[in-house]
Amino acid sequence: MPKTLSLLLASAALTAAVGLPAWSAMHAPGTAGAGQLLVLVDDDDDEDEGGSEMRRKDDDDGEEDCDDDETGCGSSAAAPAPAGSVPPPQNGLFGTGTPQVKVK
Amino acid sequence: MIKSILAALALTTALSFPAAAMARPVTLTTTMKDYGGNGAYVAIYVTDKSGAYAGSLWMAGTRSRYYQHLANWYQATGGDTAQINGITGASVGSGRTLEVTLDLQDALFDAGYTLHIDAAAEGMRESPNDVKVPLTSGGAGQPVKGRRYVSSFSYAM
Repeated sequence: MPKTLSLLLASAALTAAVGLPAWSAMHAPGTAGAGQLLVLVDDDDDEDEGGSEMRRKDDDDGEEDCDDDETGCGSSAAAPAPAGSVPPPQNGLFGTGTPQVKVK
Repeated sequence: MIKSILAALALTTALSFPAAAMARPVTLTTTMKDYGGNGAYVAIYVTDKSGAYAGSLWMAGTRSRYYQHLANWYQATGGDTAQINGITGASVGSGRTLEVTLDLQDALFDAGYTLHIDAAAEGMRESPNDVKVPLTSGGAGQPVKGRRYVSSFSYAM
């Protein structure tokens, strides 16, 4: 009986020691402190929905000023030459005219 | 002297004129669906009558790191950007229309060639063969529907 009582008292003391700071933090909104639980939120807009998707890779994080359509923008492979800067590939499909492009 | 120059000029003109007559401007018009995402990367390329990759016609999207998501094109080319030098432009936004006019060889038409379009947009599923259409003179001006990103595609000669 005394042993059981001791165990009960010890566990109660441990619970109080662990729970009291957390309880205090819950009842003190807006205050930052050691006891506040930090919840990390993934605010990445590129949701991983599974399957084959086109996603921005992690190393894009350092290229926030790099627009999607800027050539040679940190890509590991050589960026292709834009239309009009060089002739089309010599693949037998093209004549001699320069490609014209319009997006509407 | 002048006669020699004129003869040489006539010869080169005769040699080059047939080549010029074998190509003509062809306008490829790709209208995207309102898929509600970022600008789509679009690869337009051609296979021959045996189904083998014959060459690329246009790449919409300039960042090579995303080309792997144009799955069939990437598989055929290994992502070789030399295949699209001089025929690359910006990605195409949702609901927008891409109109590209290319000087294409007449031999592409009525010879078993097929035009393919692979498309992909950030955070959305890839769509290889979103469009697949044979290149024929009779098919010019006939719109075809895409599978996922492309609302309609047509070519005009």
